This record gives sequence, C-alpha cells and structure tokens, in this order.
Amino acid sequence: MLLCESSVFIILHYKQFFTDNIWIFLMKFTQTVFIALFFALITTKSSAETSQSTTSVETDSNGFSQTFNDPRYTKLKTYLIEMKDGELIPAQLVIPEKTKIRLVVRNIGNKPAEFESNQLRQEKVLFMGAETTLVIIPLDAGSYDYFDDFAPATHGKIIVKAKG
Amino acid sequence: MGQTIFVVCRESIEALLVIGILYAWMDGRADATTGKKWLFSGVLAGFGLAALLTLTLIGVSDLLGGEGRAWFEIGMLAFASALIVQMVMWMRVHGRTLKKELETGLEKSLQGKKSWWGVFFLAMIAVGREGSETVMFLYGSLLQLGTLASYISFFTAVAIGLALAMVLFYALQIGGRFISWKWFFRVTEIMLLFLGSALFLTASEKLLSGPLAATDLPSWLYSNMWDMSSVLSDGSIFGNLLASLFAYRSQPIGWDVAVLGTYWLVVMVILKWQSKDKTIAIAQVTAEQV
Repeated sequence: MLLCESSVFIILHYKQFFTDNIWIFLMKFTQTVFIALFFALITTKSSAETSQSTTSVETDSNGFSQTFNDPRYTKLKTYLIEMKDGELIPAQLVIPEKTKIRLVVRNIGNKPAEFESNQLRQEKVLFMGAETTLVIIPLDAGSYDYFDDFAPATHGKIIVKAKG
Repeated sequence: MGQTIFVVCRESIEALLVIGILYAWMDGRADATTGKKWLFSGVLAGFGLAALLTLTLIGVSDLLGGEGRAWFEIGMLAFASALIVQMVMWMRVHGRTLKKELETGLEKSLQGKKSWWGVFFLAMIAVGREGSETVMFLYGSLLQLGTLASYISFFTAVAIGLALAMVLFYALQIGGRFISWKWFFRVTEIMLLFLGSALFLTASEKLLSGPLAATDLPSWLYSNMWDMSSVLSDGSIFGNLLASLFAYRSQPIGWDVAVLGTYWLVVMVILKWQSKDKTIAIAQVTAEQV
C-alpha cells in the first residue's frame, strides 16, 4: 500500500521533479510517505486486534494457568511460552498477582523470533531452536501484552488476578 | 515480504535518527570532513559489533554467559544514554558559538579531539545494538529461502525497508537546511534527550528483571502508577515506537517513574550548570578579544 501511494505520487508529480526545486519535491514526497505510513500503521494495528488467536493453556480450578514443571526451575512458579513463526502458544496466561514468576520462552518455529513486552519490561531475541528464561517482577492485577517483535500481528496476553 | 520490510525499517529508525541528527549538525561546521570521517567509522564499527553480537545470539560463540550478557547490555545502554547527553552538551556549545559568531579560538579551548570519540561510540552502539537483531533476523530468514524468486523478493524487501528508514535520514538533512538552525537544534536536542531517556529506562528495566530479579525491592517500585493502555498501549506498533524513541510506557511502575525522574533531574541540573559555566567562559573570551 505504501509503495502504491509513493509511486502514484511520483507519477503524478514527476513534472515537478524537472521544473521545481528538487528539495521541494523531496519534502512533498517525504510528507506523502509519512501519511501513507501512518495509515499503514493504523490498518496493521486494527488487523492485529482481530487476529488474536484463541489457544490458551489449561487452567486449574481457580482459573490460573497450569505451571510448567521443570526440575531446573523449582524456586519460582514457571510458565512456558512457545513461539512458532509469529504464533504465540499459549496466547493467554493467567497468573497470580504480586508474585514473582519465571517464563521459559522457546522458539520452535523456522524463523528467528523476538519475545517483547514493554509492559513486562522484556525483550529477548531467539534464534531457531533457542530457549531462554525470564524472571517477571511481581505484577499488579491487570492485563499485560506480549508479542513477537519480528511478527507483531499477533499479541499474547498475561492476565494477572488476585489469588482468591 | 511485508514482515522483512517492517523489521528492517523499524530496527534501523533509531540508529538513523542518531546518525541523521549528527550528520545534519556537522554540515554547518568548519571541520565537517573530520567529523563525518569519525561518524562513518563509528557506523562501520557498529556493523562489526552487530556481527559479533549476532554470533553470540545464534550460539556460534558464547563469549558472554547469560549473566555477563545482561551486564553487557545494561552497560552498553547506559553508556549510550550518557553519550547522548554529552553530545547534546557539546552541540549546545557549538550552537552558541555559531550564533554569536565567535572566533574558533573559543571552540578549540572548550572541546578537544576527544569529543569525536563520543560521535564514534554513539554511532557504533546505535548501529550495533539494533543491528545485531536485524542481522540475526535476516540471517535466519535467509536460511529458509529456496527458490531464486524467494531470494529476489527477500532482497527487494530488505532494500525497501532500508529505503523507507532512509527517508527519515533525508528528512533530517532537509530539516537542517531549511528550518532555521535555532529551531532545528531545539527539536533535535529534545529528540536526542528523549532517546537518551528511553535507553536509560531500558537499561534500568534490564537491571530490574536481570541482576536485581533475586532481590525483593519495596513493593511500591513494582506497582502500576497509572494505566493508559486503553488510550495507547505500548504493545501496539505505534506505541512500541514511542516506547523505544521517547520512553513511553502505558503502565509505568514506580521504578520507571523513579528512573525517568532521576534522568530528567540530572539532565536539567547538568544543562543548567553548563549554560551558567559557558556564559562565563564566553564572556571571558569576548572580553579578551575586545
């Protein structure tokens, strides 16, 4: 879409390129690109909201996600998130509030992935087959986003709720 | 293809912002050729750094263990943010002397060759940090390609992504030429200081959930101060861009607010102190010349 708009602009204004000052042409061109970029971003954002996948890990009787049992990590409650070419498995985790937890993030796809979340204060690049662990600081009740920065169309969600 | 364009463009924006501002700013200087050489070598060194970091990311070499890597990232981010503040101070001196059209004598007395190292390291870190992620992404995607058509489409996407990011670079160059110097300087100065705050905040957050993760800090540091994610979530594409360029957070915790508050307080004090100091220095030199 960006490309289309930019090229339409060039076709419409190519005469200006020869007659007017090249800088004015460049400025107008830049303006068009930014406007186009703006619309492109808006459309990607709205499509991102609709394409949320519904896979979610099984929950226990209190509605919390099941922990991932691994003998290496026994100190903190541990949860597993797998990334597969832009897909996040699970797309939703439910965890207790004000509790430090550990996330094990695995890239099981065929492309590199970047686990990112500004709300969880995490950013970690993972090559194919790579695995990493992250400690999440105690969170208040609420909802927190995470996504694959290399394919930001799908968003995962961590729901934090009171222990009840 | 769209994904490759997006990743290349997004990841190069931060580096091009820094390089673009420094480049546009050098245009007005007498020693622009020397400065651009330092800037260019910094960019080249940045590609070297990106390649090295990529090797550790894909597991070819494991120079730094997990803990070491965390500290390295924190150090690099904090260093870059300090360099940005130092760069703004340097630019302020230059802007002032240009405006008052003082003789080069003052400029020489206020800054030596070592300032160029700031330009070099800033360009290197800017390119190297985001660059390593881009290199890894591109390398990983390259491994999946099979047909000639897929190679062509891949390299076209990379070129388009870079070209889109270069638009920002050219916009800055045009800005440097057409907007009055004073306004250009003011705007770019604020952008640089915000970028510095974003890097500083990221460094502190890595510290919080890395080396400090085992420590229990006072609970107010962990609680949300306010929640604006319904207005603009920092998980959205635009919000994420604001997060990496301006330290935007939709749900900041006490730690974030404390860190950002400290950053801006220190910056304000330094700049205030500098302008006081420099006014005296300029007054002295002008007095000597008269």
